[in-house]
Amino acid sequence: MWQVIKSVLAAFFGVQKERQRRRDFEEGRPGHFILVGLGAAAVLVGLVVLVAVLVAR
Amino acid sequence: MSRRLAWLSGSGVMGLSAQAQASGWNMPVGVTDISAEIYSLHMTIFWICVVIGLVVFGVMFYSLFRYRRSRHPEAANFHENTTVEVIWTTLPLLILVGMAVPATATLKKMYDTSDAELDVMVTGQQWRWRYEYLGEEVAFTSNMSTPRAQIRGEEPFGEHYLLEVDRPLVLPINRKVRFLFTADDVIHSWWVPDFAVKQDTIPGFVNENWVRINEPGIYRGQCAELCGMDHGFMPIVVHALEEDEFDAWLAERRDEAAEEALGVDRDWALEELMARGEEVYGAICASCHQVEGQGMLPTFPALAGNERLIDDLAWHSDTVINGVSGTAMPAFRSTLNPVELAAVLTYTRNAWGNDTGDTVQPAQIAEQLAR
Repeated sequence: MWQVIKSVLAAFFGVQKERQRRRDFEEGRPGHFILVGLGAAAVLVGLVVLVAVLVAR
Repeated sequence: MSRRLAWLSGSGVMGLSAQAQASGWNMPVGVTDISAEIYSLHMTIFWICVVIGLVVFGVMFYSLFRYRRSRHPEAANFHENTTVEVIWTTLPLLILVGMAVPATATLKKMYDTSDAELDVMVTGQQWRWRYEYLGEEVAFTSNMSTPRAQIRGEEPFGEHYLLEVDRPLVLPINRKVRFLFTADDVIHSWWVPDFAVKQDTIPGFVNENWVRINEPGIYRGQCAELCGMDHGFMPIVVHALEEDEFDAWLAERRDEAAEEALGVDRDWALEELMARGEEVYGAICASCHQVEGQGMLPTFPALAGNERLIDDLAWHSDTVINGVSGTAMPAFRSTLNPVELAAVLTYTRNAWGNDTGDTVQPAQIAEQLAR
């Protein structure tokens, strides 16, 4: 699980180690990455909204 | 009357004041705190870009030179360096956030229109600006005053070619002025570089912006949103006055408006209406229907010798007051007051050989407007 989160965060950042990428493709299940990815996207949107609200106050 | 004329021909009276000693290559520093702030933001970001450009191109040219083929015939063969990738992703992120923080702070100030001391409604129309001092009973339209002969190249250009108007917007310095922007027909944009204000005026919407001018002077701008044939011929001129001068000016305009309102009730002579009508016609109508009323076919019909106009006063006045939907003829019921409407109707019914002898009285028009 922790590995999946780390890989999703790396994808959001846009940089990933080649070794990790290979391992994800060999061992991981696509469904996990998709679910965690959707969750991370929701968190990102929430963070942007939070910053906007704080700044606009 | 002479004071009015002095005001009408105001451009140039105050001369070139604090307005831009700019080189013309950069945006102006302007005459408001906000415009100065925007200028310094612009320069900060410009220098950041210069540094980035120097570093990036420096590294590039250095590498090209240092690792040129004659010195290094064997190409290096490596792939991927996570550390470097992280650095070149993080660095731009930090730079962008670093630029966004001061930019957002300025943006917040620009949008804070609270506590204004004066409200001015700015309405874009094809092709002029209308200014209304809300709560002051003062409103007027501002038309370009550059003679058509200059535009057609028959006369040499004046000093403020295409950037001069008959009635400038007059504002006080050191007071927060809130603008409410809208338009009657299409989207225009009210742009005065020295105020760092460029705001779209959109039919059915009201946009807001504000200025607090620091320096008295004359500031010029233009419509910045393509809005039709005379888009280039609807300039903006703002006279920024000392506060007491502004108050005196506003009081004078208020008196004038009151006097004009009285004018509705009295009977006007033909000559009076003709003189006033010619003024209004030149400012409002002539850009389409032409100075001699010959029009510009097929879009703008001729008024001189127009039989329907001559025969049918009711149709004529309805056309001017309410416009003709589906054509370029706008409604002038809110742009012109009853005296101006009556004058321009009288003028077009008697000028250029349309010798109907009709006088249209302002009272008649006021009655028609109330219906």
